Formats: sequence, structure tokens, C-alpha cells
Amino acid sequence: MAGRRALKAVLIDLSGTLHIEDTAVPGAQDALNRLRQASVAVKFVTNTTKESKRNLLERLQRLNFDLQEKEIFTSLSAARSLLEQKQHRPLLLVEDSALEDFTGINTSEPNAVVVGLAPDHFNYQTLNKAFRMILDGAPLIAIHKARYYKRKDGLALGPGPFVTGLEYATDCKATVVGKPEKTFFTQALSDLGCSPSEAVMIGDDARDDVGGAQNAGMLGILVRTGKYREGDESKINPPPHLTCDSFPDAVEHILTNLL
Amino acid sequence: MADTGWPGCAKSLKGVVLDMCGVLYDSGEGDGVAIPGSIEAVEKLKASDLQLRFCTNETQATREKFVAKLQRLGFDISVSEVFSPAPAAVAVLKEKGLRPHLLVYDGVLPEFDSVDKTDPNCVVIGDAAENFSYQNVNEAFRVLIGLEKPLLFSLGQGRYYKETDGLKLDVGVYMKALEYACDLEAEVIGKPSSMFFQSVLNDMGLHPHEALMIGDDLVNDVGGAQRCGMKGVQVRTGKYRPTDERHPTVTADGTVDNLAQSVDVILNQRGH
Repeated sequence: MAGRRALKAVLIDLSGTLHIEDTAVPGAQDALNRLRQASVAVKFVTNTTKESKRNLLERLQRLNFDLQEKEIFTSLSAARSLLEQKQHRPLLLVEDSALEDFTGINTSEPNAVVVGLAPDHFNYQTLNKAFRMILDGAPLIAIHKARYYKRKDGLALGPGPFVTGLEYATDCKATVVGKPEKTFFTQALSDLGCSPSEAVMIGDDARDDVGGAQNAGMLGILVRTGKYREGDESKINPPPHLTCDSFPDAVEHILTNLL
Repeated sequence: MADTGWPGCAKSLKGVVLDMCGVLYDSGEGDGVAIPGSIEAVEKLKASDLQLRFCTNETQATREKFVAKLQRLGFDISVSEVFSPAPAAVAVLKEKGLRPHLLVYDGVLPEFDSVDKTDPNCVVIGDAAENFSYQNVNEAFRVLIGLEKPLLFSLGQGRYYKETDGLKLDVGVYMKALEYACDLEAEVIGKPSSMFFQSVLNDMGLHPHEALMIGDDLVNDVGGAQRCGMKGVQVRTGKYRPTDERHPTVTADGTVDNLAQSVDVILNQRGH
């Protein structure tokens, strides 16, 4: 690869790339093991607003994937890094299941607002509280800005609409921390001691995984599993470094061509 | 040559339109309180040769209840002089044969009694306050996303308003949330929509340049009226903020301390 330095790290999306709901992508466990035998660091990156790292880890281990909790970096981890870096004390509008990823963060006398997916908190009273804080100068941090998601009983509003409403009320812009933000990818790489030009991202979401990673200076590999739909690779510019059938093919490409 | 600036333009005026909350009274516990001099200012306008109408984005009560409150505060006002978004929305819905799903404050529901709400094919949102629960907003979202051509009407587009216990999110915030969720643009009924001001002008039988709007909301009252061809004057009461006087896009034709002062200036110009 002309102009690129040797590959040092591989970032891997979870849902849709390694597994679809409670089923592993065929051959994905073995492919991950083969990748681990090469001299590259591996990290698992995902946008989640309600699942703690421990939850994610347990699900993947049930599916026989070999990984550790410290290798998982989520949009909640990214929010936590930002809070630590700026020494903010957050009002956390996240579901209880996500709170454990913020253990140890001081939340007394909050001076920042963090919005995840939290239907229980998206009531008029709590949003008014968040609104008044932001109007008084507290920064608005969004885990991500998804419009809606699919629930068993139908579609349901995601955090995006409520973040957008708060932005309108206060005439300010939220800091978004999840994929496809550049900072998400650079933070995920930061403790591996490598630069974006030494890393590759594998995912099923053309915009959030591949486009975001390539925008941050990494290579992006799109897999045709999970949420992939025919033609997704042409929705981003520049196009993916590679589009392949599934995670094992992506690993094969890395082992053969990028090391 | 006719003077088109403030206050000279008052000489050729034929009608005045007043915003209500923040101009006539401040809201708060119970009925709120009349702003000093406003009751007398309304009386003076009524005694003059100018036509007078009231124009509000109030959507928490029916017009009847709202007007009764102002009468208790001492204002000489009748329901037929007041324009508010809910009756305007009802007119639009009936004209277009639309059946709304309503996300509004309970107090304004009676305004929609005469409208067919079965099998909704549009959504109407107003300042629903505590009714803006996740479940209710989600229900409105599901109606919209399930429509072939989602149609959202918003009764005003305010960001927030002030109550005695602090600032409260207004309908515009939830309008923006639903716009973002469904990737659509809402149709605003009420100020600052030109259609709303035009309906007030039609009722008076006046051209836009013959009428003046007085309000405390620079963008929705003054800017809205100006875009429709009327003059707009801002009062330094209600939600007025000093930064309004150097707003990037809206410049009031005049800024006065309160309604009483603006009415005195107008009547003086007219030689009363």
C-alpha cells in the first residue's frame, strides 16, 4: 500500500458484522482467532446507548468469541472519555443498564448534559431541567443522533429527535461522540498507540463504520452482512477500501494484503 | 409624502393588532397579572377610530376560557376579537378534509370537538407541556411515519416561554424533534405564519400596510408581521431581551417601553 504505514490495528464492529442478534456470522470466531495470531491490535467498536460493555462482552462470549472487556470501545466509552477529559459532571439521560459504564464519574451538581437513548428520561420535566442547564452554559453531549430504532412493538424515537429539539431550544450544537464522528475513531485508537493511517475498520454500516473511519484517515472494509443493502458501497465517497461478503473474507484480505 | 417610519406611520394606520401574553399581562399562578397601563391602553385604542384585534399563540386553553381570564384581569375583550392557532387549525383541517391525531394540552381539546379524528391522516401539535411524554411524542411519530405523505401542523414554533417557576420548553422544540425523526418540514399555524396574520387583516378588511402589530416576541410577533407587510413594534416587557435590539435578521420598526407608551405615541401622532 503506497503511502500507508504498516497496519497496526483492526477495529471491528459488533452487531451485523460479528453476529446478527443471537447468531454468529459463519466462520467469524475462527477468523477472529486467525487475526489474533498476526501482529495487530484488535478492538471492538460499537454505537450503543443502553448496553454496557459487560452486557456486550457476555453476549459475544456466549457466541464463543475470544475477547476481553478492555478491548471493547463504545459510544458510551467515548462519552466517558470526553467527560473525564473536560472534567464535566454530567446529568446522565441514559438508561439504567448503561449507567455502569459511568461508574466513578462525579454526577453531583451537574454541569453537562449527556443524552443517550432513555425513554424513561425523555419526559417534559427532565427535558426542561436539561434545557435550563444548557441555557446556563452546560455543554450538550449526544451519544449519537439516531432518528429512531426498531422495537418489538414497532418503531420508536431514538435520541436524535430529542437532541435536535434541545439544540433548537437553546440555539447550540450538540457534541456527538459515537460513530461516524472522527473523534470516536481516534479515541478508540488512542490507547493502542497507533495513528489512523495504521488502522483499518470492518463494519456493515457504509456511512457510520466505513465512511466515518475513512474520514478519520483509516481504511474501511464493508461487509455484506447485517444492515448492508445492495448498493450501499456507492453511497459514500471515497468508496470503501474493500467490500466483501463477510467478516472472514475481510480478515483474509487483511492477512494477505495489508500486513 | 406618507411617513412610513415609526412613529410617523401611525398617522395613516387603520388598525392595530396586539399580542397578548407579555404585552397585556404576565402569566403566572392563577390568572397572572396585568402589565401596568395595559388595561387603560386597550380602552384608549377602543375609543379611537382604529380597529383593534388580538393575536396570540396561546394553545393551552380554549379561546373562551382564555378571554374570560383576561376579562377577570380587567381587560375589555371579546372572543370575536381574538385570533389563536387552534381555531385557525380547525379551519385548515376542515378545508383540506384532514383528520388529525392531536398532541395538545388537555385544556384546548374542546376547540377540536367538531373535527373528525378517526383514522388520522395528519398530526397537530401544540404546547402540550406535561403531555409531552415519551409515549405521547412517540405515538405522534408513529402516526407520521406510518403515513404515505406525513403531514405535521404545529401551533406556533416557540422555543420556550417563562412561567413563575422558570423557563419551559415550547411547542417548537417538539416540532423540530418530529421534523428530524420523520425528515419532514412542519406547517406552522399561528405566528409567525403570514397566513395567520392575513386572516386577522381579512377580518378587519385592511391591507397589510394599514396595520401595526405590537408584541414582545421579536421573531414571531414583529418579524412575522413585517414579513406579511405590516409594521411591527416591540415592547420591552414579557420575553423581551436587550439583545433583541441588535438581532441579526429582525429589526423592529420601533421599540417602546410598554403597551401604554406605544398607544400614547400612536394616538399623539394621530392628533388625539
